[in-house]
Amino acid sequence: MVLFAALVAVVFGVIGKDTTSQRFLYGLKVFAEFSLIGLVIAWVFYFLPW
Amino acid sequence: MVSESQSTQIENHEALTGAGPWLISLAGWLVPGLGHLLLRRWGRAAIMFAGIMAMFFFGLLMGGHLFTVSGPDQQATSLLLRVPPVIANFGTGLPYLVCYVLDLGFTSRAILPTSEYGNTFLWVAGLLNYLASLDAFDIAVGRKP
Repeated sequence: MVLFAALVAVVFGVIGKDTTSQRFLYGLKVFAEFSLIGLVIAWVFYFLPW
Repeated sequence: MVSESQSTQIENHEALTGAGPWLISLAGWLVPGLGHLLLRRWGRAAIMFAGIMAMFFFGLLMGGHLFTVSGPDQQATSLLLRVPPVIANFGTGLPYLVCYVLDLGFTSRAILPTSEYGNTFLWVAGLLNYLASLDAFDIAVGRKP
């Protein structure tokens, strides 16, 4: 999941913004969002009985 | 007097017309990062190539498989479910075509616990390459720096 988030964040970062610093920050944001949402969904599924 | 580096910079910001942007975009689809390479965005081209190819190979290593519309594993599935993964896989361009010609990576390895992760990696690699190809088109027509 982390590998997936990292690779998607790299490509999103490169195509998403115009300057290098914006790209870097956007890539970090996408990585954090993917990782965090993945963890949240995983814990939600853990508690679901069916 | 314009130096060579300045001249290259100015040239980079000139929008292409006619078939140029389409060919750039097609090249970007065929080989991940090639569109950006032709536009002299060296860094972006290298990152695109490395990121998308890594995703493609990790997908295969995890046990994912590529899809065809008429493959033996897909016969029992509805056409509506068979086409979207093919479109996603096809986005990788040349790597998909090479695998198709050599008949590599099309056999389902569902017995592996990571095979579904692998499939997702392979689909997303193709979808990201479509985005990269469109990004190269936008740069070529002058919509993006």
